[in-house]
Amino acid sequence: MDKPEAPVSSPPVRAAVTGRSLGLRVCTRCRATLRGIAAAAQRCPRCRSPVHVRRPHSLATTASLVITAAILYIPANVLPVMRTHTFLSDQDDTIMSGVISLAHSGSWPVALLVFFASIVVPLLKLIALGEIVIAVSRRSVRQPEQRSRLFRVVEYVGRWSMLDVFAMSLLVALVQVQSLATVEVRPAALAFAGVVVLTMLAAQSFDERLLWDGESRG
Amino acid sequence: MSVIVCHACDLAHREDGIVPAARVRCVRCRAELYRTSAAGVDTAIALALAALVLFIIANAYPLVAFKVNGTTRMATLTGAALGLYDQGYATLGLLVTFTAVLVPLTQILAFLYVLVPVRLGFRAPGQERLLRVLTALRPWGMSEVFVLGAIVALVKLSSEAEVAPRIALVAYGLLMLMLAAMASVTPTEQFWRWINRRHR
Repeated sequence: MDKPEAPVSSPPVRAAVTGRSLGLRVCTRCRATLRGIAAAAQRCPRCRSPVHVRRPHSLATTASLVITAAILYIPANVLPVMRTHTFLSDQDDTIMSGVISLAHSGSWPVALLVFFASIVVPLLKLIALGEIVIAVSRRSVRQPEQRSRLFRVVEYVGRWSMLDVFAMSLLVALVQVQSLATVEVRPAALAFAGVVVLTMLAAQSFDERLLWDGESRG
Repeated sequence: MSVIVCHACDLAHREDGIVPAARVRCVRCRAELYRTSAAGVDTAIALALAALVLFIIANAYPLVAFKVNGTTRMATLTGAALGLYDQGYATLGLLVTFTAVLVPLTQILAFLYVLVPVRLGFRAPGQERLLRVLTALRPWGMSEVFVLGAIVALVKLSSEAEVAPRIALVAYGLLMLMLAAMASVTPTEQFWRWINRRHR
């Protein structure tokens, strides 16, 4: 409003008609578009979830969850997540050494799968979410198309990192042969599960519309 | 004429009636605006019932058998969570129970609780709240990840001892397919349309 009128020779502005500019809201839970009186309501008339023009404190929530997850990522990968007692010796395994021993035993497709799910995916999530948070906080979202595609990949693959937690739970339940071999969980497994859960929560608390607000501004 | 606002980029779209059996995407960010399915309430109920039967089998019988020195050890789904709990990792045990057992069970029961009344033409009390919970739970149901995790555990042990998948793992694998089919025939929009068609 306070901007001076654009000269006639300037290129046409890419003005996108958004829900906000029309005074409409959308429920991010059930995706209903709220019009008329409903647009002013605090809660979605269809599913009763709270409705906001933009989710409050979305960026700060996502940022703090990503930072916490990034800190946990270090012990999760450096410290052992599992200990195997046999009558000969005790062996501690980190996530990476678990992948290596899988590869050595000849099952390299499974080793590759665990490597991606447990090491690459969490790292990718932390980098991608961190980059998105920084870009949005600096209001410098240059390519919202690419960033939103990246965000959706992160959102989609995130749950697959739970793979190792499930595998561990079965190993613990199965390998309990007294005095012969037992498998024990080590504290870093908790850090690992923490990374998975916190990055999932970080992606869920991020309001994707923040990526596009720069476009709509003009 | 009505307007649909994209939940992911806030772009407003003109919409002339909901398209049946289609996936409609935002022209700007390609997010799914809504999806409708051609399947009926009956299909959804049938899938949920099949899922319930498979869920019971998957929980009642052992998932994997582990044979060493002549003794066989079996692991059930609850056994896997309890094993973590016994070692002092209650949080991990809860996480496994929640994502692999409780969320799928809630999904199946909530489906039946809302859809059977829709089929019979009455209204289940609290269905709006339940559908909201169901949508929120979707990312936390990890049956397919659990199946793959079980396969990883089998591969890890196969070099040391004799291991074999048992009936519950097969049931769980089928349960995973049923849950995926349930999600695919009932996009969120479809659910709300079924509920609203009968009562407004």
